[in-house]
Amino acid sequence: MSKLMTVFTTRREKSRQYKSIPSRVLLYIAWRNFISKKLRSFLTVFGVIIGVSAIFFLLSFGLGVQSLVTNQVVGDKSLKSIDVTSPNSKIIKLNEDTTNKMRTYPHVSKVGVQYSFPGIMSYNGGEVDAVVYGQNQEYQSLSSLALIKGRLLNNVDSHAVLLNTSALKALGIDDPNSALNKVISIDIPLDRVEAKKKQISDKFTIVGIIESGAGSEIFMPSNLFDIAGVPTYSQVKVVMDDTANVATARKQIEASGFQTASLTDTLSEIDNIFRFFNLVLIGFGSIGMIVAVLGMFNTLTISLLERTKEIGLMMALGSRRRDMRKLFIFEAALISFFGAVIGVLIAYIIGKVVNLYINLGAASRGVTQSFELFATPWWSIVTIILATVVVGLLVVYFPARRAERINPIDALRRE
Amino acid sequence: MDDVKKAAYHQSISNAKSIIDVSHVNQSFEIGEETVDILKGVDFSIKEGTFNIIYGPSGSGKSTLLNVLTGLQKPTSGDVTFDGKDLYELTPDKLAHFRANEIGIVYQQNFWVKSLNVIENVSMPLYFTGHSKAAAAKIAMNALELVEMADFAKKRPVLLSGGEQQRIAMARALVNNPLFVIADEPTGNLDSTNGDMIMGLLQKCQTDLDRTIILVTHNMEYIPLADHLLHIDDGHVVETMHQGVAAIAEGLLDDMRSRISRLAKGKHNV
Repeated sequence: MSKLMTVFTTRREKSRQYKSIPSRVLLYIAWRNFISKKLRSFLTVFGVIIGVSAIFFLLSFGLGVQSLVTNQVVGDKSLKSIDVTSPNSKIIKLNEDTTNKMRTYPHVSKVGVQYSFPGIMSYNGGEVDAVVYGQNQEYQSLSSLALIKGRLLNNVDSHAVLLNTSALKALGIDDPNSALNKVISIDIPLDRVEAKKKQISDKFTIVGIIESGAGSEIFMPSNLFDIAGVPTYSQVKVVMDDTANVATARKQIEASGFQTASLTDTLSEIDNIFRFFNLVLIGFGSIGMIVAVLGMFNTLTISLLERTKEIGLMMALGSRRRDMRKLFIFEAALISFFGAVIGVLIAYIIGKVVNLYINLGAASRGVTQSFELFATPWWSIVTIILATVVVGLLVVYFPARRAERINPIDALRRE
Repeated sequence: MDDVKKAAYHQSISNAKSIIDVSHVNQSFEIGEETVDILKGVDFSIKEGTFNIIYGPSGSGKSTLLNVLTGLQKPTSGDVTFDGKDLYELTPDKLAHFRANEIGIVYQQNFWVKSLNVIENVSMPLYFTGHSKAAAAKIAMNALELVEMADFAKKRPVLLSGGEQQRIAMARALVNNPLFVIADEPTGNLDSTNGDMIMGLLQKCQTDLDRTIILVTHNMEYIPLADHLLHIDDGHVVETMHQGVAAIAEGLLDDMRSRISRLAKGKHNV
């Protein structure tokens, strides 16, 4: 014993710094208490799990439907592009001058232009009406044409055209392979516009076949229309380097008197509708969460009442009041954190399983593209876990305040 | 101890530095319309390294005095000075630090943090002075060995016997190397063997570890252990120092014997 005694005989130099309990130790005490009341902690966490998974399940459904709708609307189209039109094509012209000016605006990466006119194509004596598009290279690259045979137009082509399958059928060519390199005549009357020439009338070689709409369509280089002196483009697309710059560029273009439209308009409409829809879903899910919150409040209050003596003891042994408040905050954080993580995990798994079954069902009915009815982006996971922890901190406010105000003398009074 | 040694011991105690000074302390509580005075003009000093016993009947104000001394109960008037500083001028945080750093307490009833094991409970005062779990466990193990309870380190305190719990409470009181150890009726719930063992430990704390002991009791048996007696009755404190203690102890024990024999009169020839 004497050897041990020396440990305690000389008083160690007392720290003059007012250090208090490290948070890790406080968290450990909270954790010990959490697992020492296994059934109660489990039931409370289970309540939170049900609440959180209900909210997350419904939210991921809302987000899934939203992204399905968005994908349907956007498709392959770029969110970086702006459609430019003129409110009065006689006064404000979309021509080479004005589009060249647009090219000089900051962050503009491409300006695609297209003419569109009704035309007549003839082959082997047959004549068929078709829509003729005259595109520059940039416009073609934005159109995402679905090529099935041959090649797209390049910048040295002058008398080359692409036909869609409907046009081929109308001309009586059934085999796309045999259509390549065939020469057809195309007449495009230009009397509607004040062009230099009255019409474009020439022979063209078919270089590619594409899959597009039900009507007959012909695609050719835009320079033929330039040469013919057509005064305005039918369609102009301005493409930005980044979606973030779309808004400023639109303002700049509109300042010159043009009208602009962008897919972001539609998207923000969709977002607005779904924001409301998702809120309603979260509202339904929250009913379960309210019950979970009551359970949590109940557990924390009972824990406080049971441990009044313990807290009084810790204060008598030198704990600061705010450390005891922190202890309860940690306990609430543990409950809400575990509830949130497990709840999200369960909802995530259910969502994945439902996705899998729906996709299998769809595939058996011939749907080739897979889709997600339940979307779980990382931000929704982080948000819901953080939100649940915040709810836990709100719930613990009153129990923690009571813990802080316990009077050690009353708590440790002999019975 | 021969007379020379005794005299030298008494001299050393008289010369010891006082570490707690209580002056003109009054404590009253409002109970409904009434004001109840619990402590009435209490004055005394506790000297370093002494064994102090506060005794008196139930309801005399012992517990209130103890709460005042440990910084839990601010007196209605008067000062409690520790190390030259007024205890109740300290901020609540510094007062908490004072309790964690300078006081070791043993209660009559044992209080534990039930979800923690013995060594973690013993470590508690160290946690409150900023020790990590591992650092605290090392020191706490030494304290447990000191009270010969090292084998119980991983057990739950509530599952142990009263005597074992009280030894662990002693370890907890000593673990932070406090300036003084306060024991509030530590033998109240124990049989005489365990009671003596705890008292022996307290005495060792004084003689071997140079700790200042403040023992609160209504049990007269241990009065002879004191260097300094504080008799509290109806809120008034009467002090008796060294030489006088023996006489008081003798008188109290005589009183006790005659009281018991009066009660037993006629039954036996006591």
